[in-house]
Amino acid sequence: MRIAFAGNPNSGKTTMYNALTGENEKIGNWAGVTIGRKEYPIKTEYAGSGEEAIAVDLPGAYSMSPFTPEESITSGFVRDEKPDSIINIVDATNLNRSLFFTTQLLELGIPVIVALNKSDLAEKQKITIDEKLLSEKLGCPVIKTVSTDNEGLIEVVKEAVASKGKEQKAPYVQADIDLHDKSQVDAEDRKRYAFVNEIAKQVEKRAILAKEETREDKIDKVLGNKVAGIIIFAAVMFVVFYVSQSWLGPIIADWLVAWIEVFQGWVATQMESASPLLQAIIADGIVGGVGAVVGFLPLVMVMYFLIALLEDCGYMARVSAIMDPIFKRVGLSGKSIIPIIISTGCGIPGIMASKTIRDERERRATAMLTTFIPCGAKIPVIALFAGAFFSGSAWVSAAMYFGGILLIFLGALLIKFITGYKYRKSFFIMEMPNYKLPSLKRACFSMLERAKAYIIKAATIILVCNCVVQIMQTFNWQGELVAEGMENTSILASIATPIAVLFIPLGFGVWQLAAAAVTGFIAKENVVGTIAVVYSITNFIDTEELALVGGANEVAMTMGLTTVTALSYLVFNLYTPPCFAAIGAMNSELKSAKWLWGAIGLQFCTGYTVSYLVYQIGTIATQGTVGNGFLPGLIAIIIMVLVVASVARHSRRRFDREYALHGGKTGAAV
Amino acid sequence: MYGDGAIYVQVFQIKEKMIDMNLNDADIGVTYTVKEIVTDDDELGSFLFRLGCYSGEPVTIISRNRKGNMVLLIKDGRYNVDSNIAEAIHIETEA
Repeated sequence: MRIAFAGNPNSGKTTMYNALTGENEKIGNWAGVTIGRKEYPIKTEYAGSGEEAIAVDLPGAYSMSPFTPEESITSGFVRDEKPDSIINIVDATNLNRSLFFTTQLLELGIPVIVALNKSDLAEKQKITIDEKLLSEKLGCPVIKTVSTDNEGLIEVVKEAVASKGKEQKAPYVQADIDLHDKSQVDAEDRKRYAFVNEIAKQVEKRAILAKEETREDKIDKVLGNKVAGIIIFAAVMFVVFYVSQSWLGPIIADWLVAWIEVFQGWVATQMESASPLLQAIIADGIVGGVGAVVGFLPLVMVMYFLIALLEDCGYMARVSAIMDPIFKRVGLSGKSIIPIIISTGCGIPGIMASKTIRDERERRATAMLTTFIPCGAKIPVIALFAGAFFSGSAWVSAAMYFGGILLIFLGALLIKFITGYKYRKSFFIMEMPNYKLPSLKRACFSMLERAKAYIIKAATIILVCNCVVQIMQTFNWQGELVAEGMENTSILASIATPIAVLFIPLGFGVWQLAAAAVTGFIAKENVVGTIAVVYSITNFIDTEELALVGGANEVAMTMGLTTVTALSYLVFNLYTPPCFAAIGAMNSELKSAKWLWGAIGLQFCTGYTVSYLVYQIGTIATQGTVGNGFLPGLIAIIIMVLVVASVARHSRRRFDREYALHGGKTGAAV
Repeated sequence: MYGDGAIYVQVFQIKEKMIDMNLNDADIGVTYTVKEIVTDDDELGSFLFRLGCYSGEPVTIISRNRKGNMVLLIKDGRYNVDSNIAEAIHIETEA
């Protein structure tokens, strides 16, 4: 049997779903986290030994007539796919609003069980709800639950399973009206609300009126303050990056890398008798390359843990509200900050999170720009270059994230300029959920899930890439082994060298780095993996050792980069189009080939231009002359600017034509 | 008689204009009654309704910052809204 989990946004549906199924779907303390439906069987300890019960988690909805895409998924599913019963998760701290949806669900004829969730929060706010009376009035079971504590869950599932096949009687039935007539629909909705108000009045007692200022409101005043709020937010994010990439992360990584080296040594001894070629491929290429990437895992894990805490406590909604005025100026929504923060973990869920933005242009712009903020896969790249060239300074990574945000703003302005939508009025409304102490358990789960995904990715995609790269650099086109010092005759070199020409104006026109950048499109971690393979270096984390071993670092010398060119290379890899998987996510979100190629074009041009500027300006600053390829690079960038300008002009002319009052076509499609 | 009627109509029209107030003009902490939602965006009107913000229902401003964003209390829920939404929510001037 199938049981649907329906209810208002942020009422605790997914938390309950995770508890009952053992799955680990994404949760966050703000409305709009669940964006699609998920289903999975309920564990037998809850469902009993009878027929299998499948839980279907749906996005939050305020009512059956949909306003947002999430609501239409819910109302569509419930209406068309007729689940056997519905568990309606109701936020006990907002009974009045929640019951509107409840009464609609009760009209469907499918058995409904109301889970009065967040009962612990309701108690804290001195709200008492008479669930027996409520149950009488609604005509369905009402069970108090606390889904973060597994309280009441067994009863809820038991009732749901027992209700199969029964008919649900509705306490309130909507009159038969013409659903297309807005005024009739309005009138009916008001009647329904009046019914709901009456029930709530009888069933709920509040010792503290909702409008009284609470301690949370006082906190919100500080956090939401125009100036202090932003400073606090910047400080919070800086702490997250610092702890994960410059303090706790590297400490754990040090320990891990030591073990990886031991493993590498063991593999080498095991293979002593094998051919040197095989030794090179396996010990250096595979173990070394993958090991280099896995060595950075602790940094990513700590980051994920901290971001999960942030998402759970309810702060994100406040951040969204603070950022709205700023984001509005560049043509984005305050809601755009949430995909951006999620993207610091991984860009793919970040891009998907932009679904909650209602305005189409704001949504598309967010999806396109959110990958400018460095994701978890880019952390190894940042850490590598910060360690090898900047003595592991925390300011490098801070600058990369700050740069990402700056580019998001500039990119948004550019999109606004190109699409020409200047006078669009957009609305911002975001529910402020209750603050809660973030669950350490949840954060650990999230961190371990991510670690698992990271290791799997390393053991599959990155492994394969490293193998291929290693083989391609070991052989030349005649199938012979390449001699020491003759690496530039290898297959890899011959393919990468033409590409490297493009990078000369950026300061890294070397085939090895070009190859690494290209493999970065398969997975950003590959930049590190490929560099490890191509330069036969495996320990990137131990910056102290590197510093002790040789001034200017062995790594730096091997790669033949200066600080300027290293920074330029880093910037290029961070701000170019993301990995193919993320591009795929962008495609499904943008839903238009034109926008997709525009996005890729924008990202590539941005990475190229910023990298060019860093290299040329840096070279002028440190050496007093321009770098290599100054003129060709400048020409390339001028061409990019001209293309953008012409696209903008074309798009604006079309805009003007459509909206011209006289002489223009009317009703032209966008 | 004609003169008196004209003056009465004029005064009535001025009074109507004065009564049209939206949340951007409202005070913090006072519970107002919503008069109507004025917007071109139908879906916004429906959305606000579902949250419990419609004519005849109470709404309170919990806090407001200088940018015009404010936190509203609508039916036990707190929502952060921008000045565009506040503009759309028209309220009765008598408390």
